[in-house]
Amino acid sequence: MKYPSLIIVLALAVGAFLIPAPDAPEPGPPAGVEDPPVSICAIEEGSGRTTEVVILSTVDGPTRLTLFASGESAGSIGQSTGASGSVTIPVVNVAAVGTVGGLIEMPASSSAAGTIVVGAESMSAESCAAIPTQQSFITGGSTIGGQPFELHLMNPYAGEAVVELVVQSEAGIESNDRFESVVVPARSSTVVDFAELIPGRETLSIAIETVKGRVLGVGRQGIDGESAVWKAVEGSQDWYLPIPKGGGSKRLVIGTPSNVEVEYQIDYYGPEGLEEAYLAGTLSPRGQNSFDLAAITEETAGVRIISTGPVVPILWINSEAGFAITTASAVEATRWFLPGAGALAGGQARAVILSVGIDGAIVSVRSLREQSLVRSIDLPADGVVEIGLEIADGYLIESSGPIVAMWVARRDNAGIAAMGVPILDG
Amino acid sequence: MAPRMTDAPSPRAAESPSPEAPSAAPVVKVLLTTVDGADLTMALATVGRQVYDPTPDVVVVGLESEELPEGVARVGSLEEAIAATEADTDYLWILHSDARPRPDALGALVSEVELASAALGGSKLLVAGAGEELESVGGSTDVFGEPHSGLDEGEIDLQQYDVVREVAFVRSASMLVRRDLAQGLKGLDELLPPIAAGLDFSQRARLAGGRVISVPSSEVYHQGRCNEGGRGWREQAGRLRAMVTAYSPLTLLWLIPYDFIVSVLDSLLSLLLLRWRPAVHYVLSWGWNTYHLFSTIALRRRFKPVRLLGDEELFRFQARGSVRLREVGSELSGRILSMFDEDQAIVRGSRRVWGSSGIWGAAIAVLVLAFAMRSFIFIGVPNVGASFPFEVATTSLDRWFAGWNDSGLGSPAPVHPSIGVTGLWSWLWFGAEGAARTLLTIAFGFLAVVGMGRLAGRLGYRGPGRYLSGLVLLAGPGTALLAGSGSWLALAAAASLPWAVRAVFVHPHEVGRGRLSHIGWAALLGIPLAAFSPLLAVVPLLSVMVWRVLGGKSSSFGLALIALLGAVVAVPFLLGDPAWILDSGRRLGLSVVELWPVFLAIAFVPMVFIDSATRRLGALGALLGLVGLLTAGLPYGGPGVEEAALVLASFGAALLVAAGLDVVTMDPRRLMGAVVSVTILLLSIGALGNGRLGLPGGDLNERLGFASALAGDAGPGRVLIASTQRGDIPGEARPGPGFWYRVVDGQGMTSDEVWLPASLPGDDNLDQALRKISGGGELRPGELLGPFAVDWLVLLGPMFRLDEVLIAQLDLAPIPFDPDSRVFANPVSVPLADSGTESIWLRSGTGFAGESGSGRVSLAVNNDDGWSPEPGPHDWHATVSAIDGVASFRGEALNIALAFSTAVLMLLSLGLLFIGRRRR
Repeated sequence: MKYPSLIIVLALAVGAFLIPAPDAPEPGPPAGVEDPPVSICAIEEGSGRTTEVVILSTVDGPTRLTLFASGESAGSIGQSTGASGSVTIPVVNVAAVGTVGGLIEMPASSSAAGTIVVGAESMSAESCAAIPTQQSFITGGSTIGGQPFELHLMNPYAGEAVVELVVQSEAGIESNDRFESVVVPARSSTVVDFAELIPGRETLSIAIETVKGRVLGVGRQGIDGESAVWKAVEGSQDWYLPIPKGGGSKRLVIGTPSNVEVEYQIDYYGPEGLEEAYLAGTLSPRGQNSFDLAAITEETAGVRIISTGPVVPILWINSEAGFAITTASAVEATRWFLPGAGALAGGQARAVILSVGIDGAIVSVRSLREQSLVRSIDLPADGVVEIGLEIADGYLIESSGPIVAMWVARRDNAGIAAMGVPILDG
Repeated sequence: MAPRMTDAPSPRAAESPSPEAPSAAPVVKVLLTTVDGADLTMALATVGRQVYDPTPDVVVVGLESEELPEGVARVGSLEEAIAATEADTDYLWILHSDARPRPDALGALVSEVELASAALGGSKLLVAGAGEELESVGGSTDVFGEPHSGLDEGEIDLQQYDVVREVAFVRSASMLVRRDLAQGLKGLDELLPPIAAGLDFSQRARLAGGRVISVPSSEVYHQGRCNEGGRGWREQAGRLRAMVTAYSPLTLLWLIPYDFIVSVLDSLLSLLLLRWRPAVHYVLSWGWNTYHLFSTIALRRRFKPVRLLGDEELFRFQARGSVRLREVGSELSGRILSMFDEDQAIVRGSRRVWGSSGIWGAAIAVLVLAFAMRSFIFIGVPNVGASFPFEVATTSLDRWFAGWNDSGLGSPAPVHPSIGVTGLWSWLWFGAEGAARTLLTIAFGFLAVVGMGRLAGRLGYRGPGRYLSGLVLLAGPGTALLAGSGSWLALAAAASLPWAVRAVFVHPHEVGRGRLSHIGWAALLGIPLAAFSPLLAVVPLLSVMVWRVLGGKSSSFGLALIALLGAVVAVPFLLGDPAWILDSGRRLGLSVVELWPVFLAIAFVPMVFIDSATRRLGALGALLGLVGLLTAGLPYGGPGVEEAALVLASFGAALLVAAGLDVVTMDPRRLMGAVVSVTILLLSIGALGNGRLGLPGGDLNERLGFASALAGDAGPGRVLIASTQRGDIPGEARPGPGFWYRVVDGQGMTSDEVWLPASLPGDDNLDQALRKISGGGELRPGELLGPFAVDWLVLLGPMFRLDEVLIAQLDLAPIPFDPDSRVFANPVSVPLADSGTESIWLRSGTGFAGESGSGRVSLAVNNDDGWSPEPGPHDWHATVSAIDGVASFRGEALNIALAFSTAVLMLLSLGLLFIGRRRR
């Protein structure tokens, strides 16, 4: 057995040396990613203001509004969207809570929610946001002349959140301890009052960088007793913005959270159709530029902003029709919800629809209420149209081609402008 | 044939001249004290044969009814006899009736006592019926009166002590005492047994100014009916009394506490030798002396007027320290050292000790081991990987006997067979599970080293490599990997394997002898091997096959098959979870460094060209090692296969090292074999450097301590642990969507939880819940995890999908308990046992207990009909009636029967061992 044992040993050694190491065991494949159908809304209740939450859905299902404050649920109410797929919940029926956040659990992902805040002389509306992103940006604030401007940071979740605020004004980057490591406790809100911290600033842009947890930021600007609410969003390089007709001060403000220069181009959708590269320019690091849209036209129009870096454009309107701000849309879609559009009793609401496809589109406008009405309109390619809206909880805009939709409303001298909510699935 | 004391006159007596009696020879009176069972007539006859003039008067001391010959008087007590002795008598010869003096014994005594001007002389005692075996030539004591004869056990009288010398004491079996001294001392203390009585009398005689001598020319055969070899508790008590009687109060002040400490130490050390009697003897001894305290005090008072000298006289002949401690310590060290060398080199003689190369290897291996296990002693056994504390002994044993398997969400599947062994071990340690675990782990280290040494020794190898190879077994290519992943059982299996293999090889000197013992050992040692690593149970048989093919002898197929019977211990577990052997997806995924096969081959190549013995062992090692490596590398088989293959690889490497280092010379082939073997050894030892035999450090139970610390009245529930890295999960893990996970007991993970039984509906539901949560679609994950009694969710390792989704949820509160993990509290989990009322039900053994009632108790465990009373499923989990206040589980009859069959096999093996030993 002298040599046979040697041969067997060598053969085994070669075998053991050459066989590849077995693959390390792997866990199962990751689960498909699905965001829960929730929205986070800024709520104001008290001090002469009250909020209505409008929930729209393509399905008839249960929905729940939970107000959170001081680490707890301050009130919760369950409703059903019903056959119309819509429901309006006056917050006053839930709790008298002040400035808080609200979490809406919706019946399906093809749902949307928005809020309408009505005061004695003011109105504001904004669609609610889904799960916030880690970095968001808001531009267009101002504290000049004592104007109030607040950033409402909401954290509806079980874990504490911490954010860093990078605040840029015409004076450069603002330095203040209150902008560093801002803690937003679990199930709570934190309001940063810029008028108090850095008064006299004409142009304010704030980058919200979340260090821990998740936070939704909403800007709340006041001018002469009126107020506007618009939410912070993630920067993008491609934006659409329908522009309602009207005069007065109607501005396009583009800001960037980028700390390098960003070039941009504005394509203009006017009565003559699309004019590409209608305007172009460069944003300084974390800077903002503002354009007077009313100077271009007082008619219904639209713009597309394309940039070399992340930017966020907003529409800033202050006219006899009221004061309103809304953020442009970074996406186009064939279906849009306009939560709250038509819900304002005694007001006049209009939808502004911009066709961004190559071809024209057939657009149907459906009011969501007990007896819904549907209207159809033909929208030419690169066309923009503004149509009046009836009383309803909101509207569902469906199109044969990609569109971008928003709504505006006015009552007395108060105005509203709110971008619609695209339905990206379902 | 040795002369018997009843054979008178003895040849020696006939040959030696009778001591010439002096012209005015002292008058001697013989006080023959009766001893139960001794033949008085024969004793009188031997006294009557004494060559001494004037013929001594004989008085029998005792109350026997036996008729005495004419001229022989009888008195009731020794004291009475001494007191009644008239002044014309010079000496008293106190003699036991079980003593048989040679005819010249008295004459020699009188002559030497006179010559030495001594007061007391003792004869040389020889063991009656044992040839010329010495029993006593007088002796010294230690300070506690413990006799120290200086004789070896069974020492033969070669006249090596034949010189008259002063001693501390002589035995009372045959002593000649001056009559006046005896009367002054009031004779022997009759409460004392013979040795103690002799000691006491000798001490008092010395303190009274008399000399005590040993007279070896006076030979007396002693039947020893009067005592129990001096080891009975009465002797011990007597020594204590003698001490208290003799010493001054000042000496007693420190001596009595000192004696008490020695008693405790002696008792404890004796327990290590599995002797319980010394402890009992001490208790009885102290009790007896307490009972007789007043008579002892009276004795002291009576002795006081006679005393002339101080305690220094007693100290003159005393040995230093404690004789008992020295003896027990010597025996203990002897036993330990003898484990390392079958030749008993150390025990037999210090000169040969370091001439044995095996001892050198053993000494080095032990030093390395001590270093490699230092953390166990100073910190304890780590609680990580697959190394976790033992459960309560009775609970472990209950689980073993088909009780509820509480791992994961619970299962009726039998627990791993090691749970039975560890449960039994803990039980033997009176339920001290922590100590039992630490000691067992330390024992594994020594058992592996000693086992390899004994195995190689049985195969005929004596070199230093055989013990050093134990280190390779513990930390070789496979076990190092397993231990590094936290497998405590890998060490256990490695420690058991050489012993089980050794049991199937028979030493050439033992062939045909002690067959029952061999069968008993083979069956018995097969059980722990199969319990620790079930598939390794085939290795003894495999070893025999290979050994035979290689031309080796002394192996037994029959014993190998008997050793295989031990696998019965693992049958319930394997039947309950066959995937543990078959499912490669459950492997740890350990891969051996590619160069190990090369090392093994290179180590073997030079051995091919040495002698056949080295070649054979080398080939066995190389073949087993490479088969192990090959099997571990193939993507077939589950964790059981992986574990067994890796341990086998180390075992083979260890055998190779044993062969390579068996004989180290300058022969190039041996030198090369030795160099490669040393390389393998050094590579292996590196893994032991962490002080934990290669086990990783840490304490998961301490990290998760918040789970029990913050538990509510219903007790801790479960902790769900998840990570993308398999190694972060303690014990076995289930594959989740993009990560590994498992649940563990919130009150601390125990060893029985290491293995996860096959998935049941509850496990599937938990898996679905985790899929939903990790998909991000669940806003309230706590509600989903609550029904599984998951109180806490702990995410380990790098951030992953669950971290992302748990940022945006509503009911799992992140709590920064541990900087190295992400901990979430679940406030909406249900108790493990939920009565649905305010009544709290808690764990109790393997079940639950609480207040009895008319409702039902919902148990957050997988449903099974074995639960009682009145089991009933609810969704996936079990419910029982609360009527008894107890929820208990009993498994299938087959599993119970299999568990009992192991117990029967073990008892049978022990029985065979016992019978086999007695026959030998």
